[in-house]
Amino acid sequence: MSSSKSMRWLITVLVLMLALVISACGAPAAQETVGDAPAAEEAPADAAASSDAAAEEAPAEATEAPAEEASGDAAAAEGDVIKIGALAPLSAPGTVVGGEAMVDAMRIAADEINANGGLLGRPVELVIEDSEGLPERGTAAMEKLINQDQVVAVGGGYHSSVGVAAKEVAHDNGIPVVFAETWNDTITSAMYPEIFRIAPLNSEVTAVDLNWLTSLPYEIGNVVILTENTDYGIPAAQETAAGLEAAGIASETFQTDIGTQDFSAIIDRIRAQNPDFILVLNTGEAGFNFQQQAAEQGIGPQDVPMLCNQDGLESNAYWTNVPDGNLCFLRRVGLPVELYNDVAKSFVERYVELTGKTTAESYALEAYDSIMIIAQAIEEAGSTDPAAIIDALENISYEGALGTITFPVNSKNTPEQAGMDPKWWHQFPDPAITIVQYQEEGQDSLDAPVVFPEIYQTGDLVWVTAE
Amino acid sequence: MANQQIFLLALLWVVFWGAIGSLFTPRIYSRKDLDISRATLGGALVGAALGPIGLIPLWIYTPRFTNRIYAAASIIVLGILILAFARAYPDNLCVSDGGFVASQVTNGIVIGLIYSLMALGLTLIYSILGIVSFAHGEFYMVGGMVVYFMSASTLFGRAGAWVWLLGAAVVTFVIGAIFEILFLRPMGEGKIERPKEYAILVTFGLSFFLQYLVQGLAGANPVKAPRFFDFPVIELPNAEDPYLIKTTAGNLRLFDAVSIPNTRFVSAMISVLLLFALLFFLYRTWTGRGLRAVSEDRQAASVAGINPYRMNTLAFALGGMLAGLSGATLVQVFTWLPQVGIPAAARSFVIIVLGGMGSLPGAFVGGIIVGLVEALGAGCVPDPARAAAYIPAYGMIILTLTLLLKPTGLFGREL
Repeated sequence: MSSSKSMRWLITVLVLMLALVISACGAPAAQETVGDAPAAEEAPADAAASSDAAAEEAPAEATEAPAEEASGDAAAAEGDVIKIGALAPLSAPGTVVGGEAMVDAMRIAADEINANGGLLGRPVELVIEDSEGLPERGTAAMEKLINQDQVVAVGGGYHSSVGVAAKEVAHDNGIPVVFAETWNDTITSAMYPEIFRIAPLNSEVTAVDLNWLTSLPYEIGNVVILTENTDYGIPAAQETAAGLEAAGIASETFQTDIGTQDFSAIIDRIRAQNPDFILVLNTGEAGFNFQQQAAEQGIGPQDVPMLCNQDGLESNAYWTNVPDGNLCFLRRVGLPVELYNDVAKSFVERYVELTGKTTAESYALEAYDSIMIIAQAIEEAGSTDPAAIIDALENISYEGALGTITFPVNSKNTPEQAGMDPKWWHQFPDPAITIVQYQEEGQDSLDAPVVFPEIYQTGDLVWVTAE
Repeated sequence: MANQQIFLLALLWVVFWGAIGSLFTPRIYSRKDLDISRATLGGALVGAALGPIGLIPLWIYTPRFTNRIYAAASIIVLGILILAFARAYPDNLCVSDGGFVASQVTNGIVIGLIYSLMALGLTLIYSILGIVSFAHGEFYMVGGMVVYFMSASTLFGRAGAWVWLLGAAVVTFVIGAIFEILFLRPMGEGKIERPKEYAILVTFGLSFFLQYLVQGLAGANPVKAPRFFDFPVIELPNAEDPYLIKTTAGNLRLFDAVSIPNTRFVSAMISVLLLFALLFFLYRTWTGRGLRAVSEDRQAASVAGINPYRMNTLAFALGGMLAGLSGATLVQVFTWLPQVGIPAAARSFVIIVLGGMGSLPGAFVGGIIVGLVEALGAGCVPDPARAAAYIPAYGMIILTLTLLLKPTGLFGREL
């Protein structure tokens, strides 16, 4: 008995030691902060040492003031930290590949701001919260960021359902939010003073899909839409179906839950429809599951033309999870790589260095811009007062990785005055959307040719014909 | 539209008379001092099958509910629903396309076999330790993760699927054994004041620990293991249709109708092998018999020289290992994440409640029934916008019906 007790103790100690070692070297937990006080204290010295290089790399407008302070006064970034919230899905059923990419991008933004002397002479702290892709978790995360962490503004955001729910919390508390990757139209059409968006509108993305499909020289008589039953998927599927009907193309929509794993029955039903084209609106691992299972059951992207979800742009994750997914079409937000501006090139360089990936995905560029645009607004406002930041955002012209970002429809130029739909309220009007296609197994999404629209086209598409 | 109302009416008829039967039959049997343990389900089935035509003679003659009555009534209920469905939705693939139905049934059985393996682990733990492990889904997740990381490593990448499966078995068995010795044995020794609550909390704790441990170590990105084995490419009897069997590396087609993906087929076959291995272990080895003896009567077993503590450890480790192996076979089918075990564990709970808590045959049959219901539900529910979105609900409907009509489950010990 005593030997079994001592054995138990020994095992306990070993397990505890293992847990300690793991927690010491493990990956980030659900909530963490970047650029907090100790890091910020180091920042001015770093900035002073490398201010020239940093100033060269950084976008001129975005970092002009901090760069001056950084080079002029090494003690600039002192005093109370300015906290900026960062919302991203970091665990299932959220799209973790997208969320992690966004967090990396937002970290780069925060580090860049601190390296350039912080904001208003104060260091910046990025407070990251996991939305899990669920509206209830997103709401709780936004509550925590605003009321517990006392952030002055929030960036990031991936899932539309989270954006739709969390915007209410931001509105109730008067805290500005710049959504990076939430597409649902109602997020801006609610016309809340606090809510800004640099991602495209769902309806605009749908319009691109429809323009592409109807411009193709192939016979498309029957389209299957597979969607998740979320605030992103449902309206996107409805608008696409309506647009297809108007173009004389029949369609059938299949809905699933956000984290669905097993698609075998649905795939059999889709096969029975004999579709000429399949449009996948499921995000994250559900999309991966469908595409690979469809390939195994004979209606994958190499059997039927398929527009896959943009998470497929994460080449490593895509080819690990969808090894038979060659010839998938993918939407990419933002300009083609060949047309990247200096800010985008500089960001991608740092992103590649940090993550070991070969390039940055569109949502990483958007996430970076969402934090940097808040930073510029705080500088221009000269204050962390939310109302002042909102006012600065309305008047901003930010040269970012996505291009020059402005919010032309705002409280001084309302949708009514501008004669536009309310969805354009606080909306960046020009996020470019292209369609690329993987054409080799294991291909990097960076090398996948752009097949639409024509002005950005870098290669011809490969069109498989359904049996 | 009128046709669709036929199915709705048939459903209402079945539910209404089923409810009447299940409510009043036990009271009538009780008034006559008869055995009421089978009266709720029996009354519900007879009511649903025959309505007042069946219930009135049942209440007058109050016969003993035999398995034959259960089976006949169940077949009539199924027949009514199938006929009404066929009349209401003549164009539905489940009515008009026999090949589609065969495909759904095959896929349901295939996935059900894998569900069974996982549920067997949970029921084994319950039958020996008397607790429900809330960390069962995490053993499933860890098994899959071990296979993925072994397959992606330079050291084990070329070792082959059997080595990866062995790795998953060893890791999950060891985690289960260590956890049982550290946290559950004090409960068995009577050192814990409220053992049932303790067991729930401590297994929940293990569930969170494993989930976030894996997320911390491996990240939360989705991963997937490669196909374990490729099919040999064959076409029998020849390339002309209709063929009997046709395979590609990743798919098998029978009679040009039933399509089974390689990964699912291989997973199901491995599960069948493991089920036989488990049966051999439990019924043909001394240790297995010891486990069964403890599940029957703990005190009598210990009098006979079986150490119940050691059996507890073995049962928990073995149960965890079965879940781990279930995950290990499925990581080539589904994309894998640290949270992947949550829905799988919920499904296992449904299966063991349906089959009867602690019953091994119950877990096996329950797994296949749940697999079939999910596949046919997703395949046959007419509205494509809802068919697949309701997959989690199908399990919950089974759970609710089981708890209402036969709380002991299909093979559970009668109360």
